[in-house]
Amino acid sequence: MRTLMLVTLLTCTGTSAGYAQRNSESGAESKIVAMEHVWAQAYMIKDPKALARILDDAFVCVGSDGKLLTKPDILADVKTSTALQIMTESMVVHLHGDTAIVAGTFRTKGVERGKPYARRERFVDTWRYKDGQWVSLTSMVTLAGN
Amino acid sequence: MGLAYEHGNPRRQLRPRAGILPTGHFLRQEQGPMRTTNWLLILVCAGSLRVRAQEFGEGSSATAVLAQEHAWFDAQARSDNRVLDRIFDNALVYIEDGRLVTKGEYLSRVRLAGSHPGQITVETTTVHVFAGTAIVVGTYREIGVKDGKTFLRRWRFIDTWVNKQGSWILVAAGAAPLSK
Repeated sequence: MRTLMLVTLLTCTGTSAGYAQRNSESGAESKIVAMEHVWAQAYMIKDPKALARILDDAFVCVGSDGKLLTKPDILADVKTSTALQIMTESMVVHLHGDTAIVAGTFRTKGVERGKPYARRERFVDTWRYKDGQWVSLTSMVTLAGN
Repeated sequence: MGLAYEHGNPRRQLRPRAGILPTGHFLRQEQGPMRTTNWLLILVCAGSLRVRAQEFGEGSSATAVLAQEHAWFDAQARSDNRVLDRIFDNALVYIEDGRLVTKGEYLSRVRLAGSHPGQITVETTTVHVFAGTAIVVGTYREIGVKDGKTFLRRWRFIDTWVNKQGSWILVAAGAAPLSK
C-alpha cells in the first residue's frame, strides 16, 4: 500500500513538474515572440530605445549582403529605417534551456530613395536568458529562397 | 566586451586553420533542391589559424566549440553522418541561400551527394561564449566550378552552439554571401 502511494505521489509530482516545465517553456516562447514583434515594431516607428533593451551588448547581425553589424550599428540603422510595414509570415521558437532559436520569414514594404520596395526575408535569431530576461545575441537575415 | 570584429580591427590577423571548416556550407545548392553543387574538397592550408576567442575566462569552452567545428568539417569531408548526427541538434535550424534546411534534409544530402572538388578557405573565426551558449562568427572563401567556369565567393557565417549534458551541440547556422 505504501509503495502504491509512493508511486502515485511520484507520478503526480512528475506530472506536475512536466506541466510546470511546459508552462514555463510556453511562457518563454510567448515572451520571445513578443520581443520579436517589438523588434519589428521598433523598425517601423524608428525606436532605437525599444530595441536597445532586447539586444545584448555583444549582439551581432549578418544581413543579406553579408555585412556584419554590431548593436550600435543596428541602433543607428533603426533611426534611418525605410520600412513602413513588416509582416511576420512564420515564426518558430526552439528552446534549448536558457537558449532559444527563432526561425521565420517576414515581408517588408517600404520606400527607399523615393522608390517603393517589397521583399521577403528569412531570419534566424539566437536568444539567451540573461539576468532575468531574454536578450538577442545574434541575427541572420537573408532574402528568402523557395 | 563583445566580439573582435574583423571590420576596423587591425589587430585581427587570422589565417586559415589547418583542416578546419566552421560550417557545413559545402551543402550549398545553386539550382534547385535536388542539384547539389560542388562538394567541396577542402583546402588544407599550411600554417595555423590564430583564433581570437574572447570568452570571458571560458577558454576551454571556446576550444571545445572550435573542436566541434573541426569535427563537423572532418565528418562532412568523410560523409560520416553518424558523427554529424551527434554534432547536430535534432531541432537544428540551418539557413542556406535563404532556404531553411532541417537536420534530416542535411544528413540526407550528405548521404546522397557525390564528391565534386572545390575549395574552402576559412579566413576569420571568432568565438564568444555566454555560459552554455557559444556563438561562432567568421568568413570563408569558396572557389568552385559552375558550368565549366571557376568562381570565387566569400561568405560570412554565424553558428550557434549549446552545451547539452557536457557536449557542445550545433542548434543553428547560416551564411550570407559577402558583397563585392
